[in-house]
Amino acid sequence: MNNDLHEKRIPIIKIGNFLIVSIQVDMHDKLALQLQSQILQEIEKTGAKGVLIDISVLEMVDSFIGRMLSGMASMAAIMDAAVVIVGMQPAVAITLVELGLEMPGVDTALNMEYGMEMLERRLNDDDISLY
Amino acid sequence: MSKEYNIDKIAERINRIEDVLASVAAGDLDARINAEAEDDLSGIEAAIDLLIDDLTDELKQREKMQKEVEDKLSKIQEQQKTILQQQADLLELSSPVSKVWDNVLILPVIGTLDSQRTQVMMENLLEKIVETGCTISILDITGVPTVDTQVANHLLKTVTSARLLGAECIISGISPAIAQTIVHLGIDLSTIKTKATLQDAMIFAMKQNKRSENVKLQSLFTSSDEKEE
Repeated sequence: MNNDLHEKRIPIIKIGNFLIVSIQVDMHDKLALQLQSQILQEIEKTGAKGVLIDISVLEMVDSFIGRMLSGMASMAAIMDAAVVIVGMQPAVAITLVELGLEMPGVDTALNMEYGMEMLERRLNDDDISLY
Repeated sequence: MSKEYNIDKIAERINRIEDVLASVAAGDLDARINAEAEDDLSGIEAAIDLLIDDLTDELKQREKMQKEVEDKLSKIQEQQKTILQQQADLLELSSPVSKVWDNVLILPVIGTLDSQRTQVMMENLLEKIVETGCTISILDITGVPTVDTQVANHLLKTVTSARLLGAECIISGISPAIAQTIVHLGIDLSTIKTKATLQDAMIFAMKQNKRSENVKLQSLFTSSDEKEE
């Protein structure tokens, strides 16, 4: 069982100050929870300031995954890392809104590029406020 | 007044009556007995003829009415078809999403909004956002006369879904009447950026564009400075 989950691990890539997570398999609840703790551990380990989660290939997001994503944003926020969800499909967005999951605390971007820019801007803003 | 009844003749006449009735039953409405003689039996024959006449009239009338009804029905069906076609056309025509500037999409809404129309509108807008990669979209509702709870809810949903995609959605052109209804209905639009006119919304969008460009330049400079150091 453990091996099974291990095989399906979603890679977390660190680039500069950011972590990039590209979800390219269908998410099930166990995998989602595993991913959540995996990302949080990685944030602690690398001291990343931002996490980009690419869900552009996900054609279906249920309420559990939606809640997991918004929960993870708040968890990462108190660990001083911003989460940006990238590339959500229109159908997914409509479904989430219909489900009442409007993800108020979560930042979103149209694609990876915009997401990166957003995080960089945030990092810059933080720098400016320091001095 | 005694009359000689010829049994053979009477049998023949009864046979004739039978034949006529049979042919009427089979659908030949022109068949008549047309009795020549005048006696007791001729009364019955005449009555049967009359009956067949009446029946013929009745049937003809019914046929006519049926035809009329069918005509009307086909006309109504045709009209219904036209109405449906026009509705579909209107649905497509009524939600054009156009790109007006770098990074800026506009969706002007004119006429009454219903659930179906807002649904189509929302889908169109979201598709277009993904297609063009524009991060700012303006929903101009200057041409919308009234807003009810459902429509307001749909507008909120559109804005929220756009946000989930990573685009900002501005609503412009909210008329005094709509503002009043929205507040009276207790709908909270405070999370949504609203602007008075399309012009204001455009200015806001362009400023937003400029800001992100400046930030981009700034970060470019800072990163190149760091490299030089």
